[in-house]
Amino acid sequence: MEDDNSPPPPPEQQPPPPPSHTGSPTDFLKGVVGKRVIVRLTSGVDYRGILSCLDGYMNIALEQTEEHVNGVVTNRYGDAFIRGNNVLYISADEPL
Amino acid sequence: MLIFSVFKTLTDQQVTVELKNDLSITGVLKSVDQFLNIRLDNIKVLDEARHPHMMAVKNCFIRGSVVRYVQLPAEHVDTQLLEDATRREALTQVKR
Amino acid sequence: MDPSSSGIQEPFDLIRLSLSERVFVKLRGDRQLTGILHAYDGHMNLILSDVEETIMIVEVDDENATAGPKTVNVAKRKMDMLFVRGDGVILVSPPSRT
Repeated sequence: MEDDNSPPPPPEQQPPPPPSHTGSPTDFLKGVVGKRVIVRLTSGVDYRGILSCLDGYMNIALEQTEEHVNGVVTNRYGDAFIRGNNVLYISADEPL
Repeated sequence: MLIFSVFKTLTDQQVTVELKNDLSITGVLKSVDQFLNIRLDNIKVLDEARHPHMMAVKNCFIRGSVVRYVQLPAEHVDTQLLEDATRREALTQVKR
Repeated sequence: MDPSSSGIQEPFDLIRLSLSERVFVKLRGDRQLTGILHAYDGHMNLILSDVEETIMIVEVDDENATAGPKTVNVAKRKMDMLFVRGDGVILVSPPSRT
């Protein structure tokens, strides 16, 4: 940005690797298993619970799940399987 | 594949197919393929008043993707067999 | 049945452990089912018996209605044996074993 007059870095000085806290999506998913998460569906409904596991389709198994619609708890499930195609995102609900 | 097999065992039985557009069609299951496309004979639309254009239709081919439900004849479904077959199929699909 | 419900390695294990048990299924189009699970596949196609379907008919006529969906009408029906196409499935919940 501000260094457009400086010469390009020599090839042996590659930019530093990204800091470790910005891992790949896969790293994030591995790290979040067993943690509290918020799963948002494309419909806008949120599921808050403990992420038991997930697979490559983003099918998700949650424990102690609360269903939130417009910020209101509308259901509770001991266990819940969420079909992956409905998932918009998975968000960590506690520090990783 | 398992569900495909189930439908094959139900050929020549009467079923009711409910489509995602809420149209319900009862008829004799003549054939099914791996996509769960369905051919029905001697069909009868449940709510003919609402779907008068279907009155003259005697048989039909239903694309699997537009199906919401199929009501099956319970007396021709061996539930124990289904559960065993489902567990067997689940074992072959565990590794991804 | 299975005391260690946390011994689940992939999401489908949750469904497999629910075979022959009553499950709750949330579907697209404001529909939900309960029924006894007899078969499923990787698409989440399901075969259930002794099914009760609940259809929520939600109306958004009231401009003043803010948060909270207004369930104006609930339709219920029962079906003996039902195939459910997997693409309509949002969520499956086993019977609470807590």
